[in-house]
Amino acid sequence: MSLIFSVIREDTFWSILLFIHFLMAVALLAAVTLQAASVLTSARQAAGNFIDRFSPVPAASYATVIILLYLPQALLGAWMYLKYRLYVRIPMEQLRHWWTLGAFEFKEHIIAMGIGLLPAYWYLWRQPLSDEDTGLRRWLTVFLAVTVWYAFGAGHVANDFRGIGS
Amino acid sequence: MTQTVDVGERSSQLDSSGAMDASTSATHRRAKVRTFAFTFGIAFTLLYTVLERLNWPLFTYQPAAGKLYFWLRRPVSGEGPPMYWYGWIVNAAIAAFTVAWIATIISGSWLRRATVFCCALAALWPAALAGLRIYITDWATFDADFLNSVWVAAPPAFVGAAVITFMCRPNWRNARGQAGC
Repeated sequence: MSLIFSVIREDTFWSILLFIHFLMAVALLAAVTLQAASVLTSARQAAGNFIDRFSPVPAASYATVIILLYLPQALLGAWMYLKYRLYVRIPMEQLRHWWTLGAFEFKEHIIAMGIGLLPAYWYLWRQPLSDEDTGLRRWLTVFLAVTVWYAFGAGHVANDFRGIGS
Repeated sequence: MTQTVDVGERSSQLDSSGAMDASTSATHRRAKVRTFAFTFGIAFTLLYTVLERLNWPLFTYQPAAGKLYFWLRRPVSGEGPPMYWYGWIVNAAIAAFTVAWIATIISGSWLRRATVFCCALAALWPAALAGLRIYITDWATFDADFLNSVWVAAPPAFVGAAVITFMCRPNWRNARGQAGC
């Protein structure tokens, strides 16, 4: 770390990491949203109108991308969590921003659960897709999408409190 | 979970027939992977919740001091805030991995028994604790505060879960593929 900090300032380094975390979050958000929308609309597609039939990419093709983004994103977040605990959470407590703090704590828990469910998610999206698991696959995908959307929102609020530019 | 067990049993029956060709082996392996992945997911989420509620991290990290302590370490003046989140995740992951690994090596009937036992225990343990607390506040005529403990509520919950598991057993033999209890 000292080698990196001899090249760039420490706060610049953490700001770059936070920005990478944001970019990965946007990519992950796009992938899980498209996949969740795809599994939720698939039942309507057979008899639906033009918009119902619109499905540009098969949902299964997103699964690997989502796993490859979810895990590194969670690990990067866990690394940056060190700085959050020292430089963000303490001022939050001092200024009594309990809702922001609680929302971020819930983010930690929901992401931990998302990581735990990744093996089952990977199994359910393995080819060939099993017909008997359609419901399970659909709701696990929706749950992962909810975790990513929630984490994105809570992280954004925490960043607004004391993140890039503060 | 029940589907997982059924797939596992089907593959076990195929094993016992003696004709262990490549496709049977692949089916068997797939069933094991399925059991492991599903059990790990369920066990991890439940264990993480329990460990977080009980505050049982495997280790505590003090980021300001850069120190790592085994198990739980309360905040100490001058060392900054402690971090338990990593410890909860690692603890839950190790425990869930162990549970999932056990699920892959035991038979389908034992996995069903264990599932029913754990579900019954999850319902009975908090119920026993709530019952004890009602007894302490509304009924006890002596200082019964020593009963207000999760460990005092554990024995009746374990006995009740064992009884429910034993009572559910005949249904598994008679009606394979149907709901147990």
